[in-house]
Amino acid sequence: MVLYDSATSGGSNSGSSSSCSGTKQHVAEIDGLLAGAGYKVRSSELRQVAQRLERLETVMVNSPADISQLASDTVHYNPSDLASWVDSLLSEFNQPPLPLPSDLPDLPDIIAGPSVNHTAVGNYLTDNFTTTQQQQQQQQQMMIVTAMEEDSGIRLVHMLMTCAESVQRGEMAVAGSLIEDMKGLLTRVNPSCGIGKVAGCFIDALSFRIMGVGGSICGSVSENEILYHHFYEACPYLKFAHFTANQAILEAFDGHDCVHVVDFNLMHGLQWPALIQALALRPGGPPLLRLTGIGPPSPDGRDSLREIGLRLAELARSVNIRFTFRGVAASRLEDVKPWMLQVSPKEALAVNSILQLHKLLGADPARNSPMEMVLGWIRNLNPKIMTVVEQESNHNQPEFLDRFTTALYYYSTMFDSLEACPLQPEKALAEIYLQREICNVVCCEGSARVERHEPLAKWRNRLAGAGFRPLHLGSNAFRQASMLLTLFSAEGYSVEETEGCLTLGWHSRPLIAASAWHAVPDVMMSHQNSN
Amino acid sequence: MVQSHQIIIPMQQQQKEKKLKFFINDDIDILIEILKRLDGRSLCVAACVCRLWRTLARNDSLWEELCFRHVSSPPPSSVRPVVLALGGYKRLYMVCLQPVLSRLGLAELNSHRVKRTWTRDELQLSLSLFCVDYYERLGAAAAAGDTDRSLGECDASTSSLMFLCKPVNV
Repeated sequence: MVLYDSATSGGSNSGSSSSCSGTKQHVAEIDGLLAGAGYKVRSSELRQVAQRLERLETVMVNSPADISQLASDTVHYNPSDLASWVDSLLSEFNQPPLPLPSDLPDLPDIIAGPSVNHTAVGNYLTDNFTTTQQQQQQQQQMMIVTAMEEDSGIRLVHMLMTCAESVQRGEMAVAGSLIEDMKGLLTRVNPSCGIGKVAGCFIDALSFRIMGVGGSICGSVSENEILYHHFYEACPYLKFAHFTANQAILEAFDGHDCVHVVDFNLMHGLQWPALIQALALRPGGPPLLRLTGIGPPSPDGRDSLREIGLRLAELARSVNIRFTFRGVAASRLEDVKPWMLQVSPKEALAVNSILQLHKLLGADPARNSPMEMVLGWIRNLNPKIMTVVEQESNHNQPEFLDRFTTALYYYSTMFDSLEACPLQPEKALAEIYLQREICNVVCCEGSARVERHEPLAKWRNRLAGAGFRPLHLGSNAFRQASMLLTLFSAEGYSVEETEGCLTLGWHSRPLIAASAWHAVPDVMMSHQNSN
Repeated sequence: MVQSHQIIIPMQQQQKEKKLKFFINDDIDILIEILKRLDGRSLCVAACVCRLWRTLARNDSLWEELCFRHVSSPPPSSVRPVVLALGGYKRLYMVCLQPVLSRLGLAELNSHRVKRTWTRDELQLSLSLFCVDYYERLGAAAAAGDTDRSLGECDASTSSLMFLCKPVNV
């Protein structure tokens, strides 16, 4: 093909010219030679032209459409102006270029995978990456290979939005056909990295919603425990939560000899060994420690709460701490009544909620909102400290499309950060854990939708309104969190401190926020009549 | 006469050689003093030399020395029973302290890793991770139905700390 020949000759020309180290005279010489050959292009631009030509070659070879139309129907601009000629050819292959809406500031995070060892996609979308020289070179090489994927990725995101919009409007038939298209598009995107996995999760979630089977996604209690454990191993979010909360609790317990910790979600009790050890080694000697663990009842007769309690007790005995454990089985947090916790007035109480409080937001606007009720009895117990860790995102907006969009960006960032995890099968199971969350956010409504995440600002207002004042997490917690992060092999996590709360994020997008609170003395809250 | 002279001299030489020959294994105290000053890797290598050296290198107090060698202030006395209960200093060093320090040392691009002072924070973090490791081994032993808890024999590092063993992907 004539087109192709001129492309290769242009390419080889640029190859030889760019490999020479250019002195001014030399560059001018090359420019003159090119002009003499009839090309209106400067040698400084040739590198980019070469890349675009390679990209064009990839596109032409991989294009499913019949490209003979190029020769007949389309208008090409002056081929001697190489740069714009190649661009016009390229634009023939991209379907009508989708204008990037200006309200998608985080779009780069979806497409560009972690810069460590994955295909780093084109720079022209990103402006908040600081790449080194070497990475830039790598990226330029990779850019050609992933050009197709990048376009498909952008298109997938837009189709997801369109589909969500039609779901919100109730146009299920349109949504259904969009889902079929998206599934087809998904095959062209590499499903094992970047946008592929997240898009797959969201496409599945949307199709579940359309079919109305959202509620059947939640798994059994033991399944959830296993998934949670693997999520704990695969990425630092839960470890950050545990260590930060422990540090705050440790500092709050300073000077007290009888301490009581209430854990709203015991799971495998992975948070508590570190606290037990820290209490054992604290100056002044260890206190008497009571732990009350709340968890869902186990269906098959095993008393998993008690088993975990026994394990923790054994650990405590090894390090010589007087320890008692109590398990409270409740399937929902609002079913727990304060008398079940048996808090004694003489002991210092710490309430620990890791990713639990948002589940209380799901009730219909009835008389007694469960959130108010629970916060009320917590406050009445007068804890020395309440540690709250929540996802830093707003997945509780009333409009489905807003929720969907926010969730898409949030979980894309999460999946990006997971990409760096080298441990299998932890990584795969952690992804399933996130998948279940996504399904709940997208498919379920009403009381079935428990994953009602809200950002830190909203929690601040809510807790302040319920009679709590913030406790600043000190510099010890910050130092410990930073140290913990350097131990993880992925470079990209960042800890930030905002008004006494710590957030952990990926590439400066905060994903999880930890804060500490204590109850305001009663004399200042005389207007509050709880229960 | 010349012949008998020749027989006598080699024997004298042998006796001289016997007096000059020094075998380190005869003096265990000196051996311990030397082993005390080695770094982690050398200590492990030393443990492969012979049975005596292996027995000596397994002595936890050597590893305790190693763990706290470069700590800026000596640890409180309450640390030892806790560490021993959780698995001993050798395990603390191999599973937690050494990976933590090498990872943090790399992070700070400090070329004199061995000689830098270890801060209390790093030690505290290592101890916490060590405790989590012990706890997970408890769980693994329980899951395996192991009533006779021989946790010291548990060589496989539990998954919670496996992220420490992977090389830094810089």
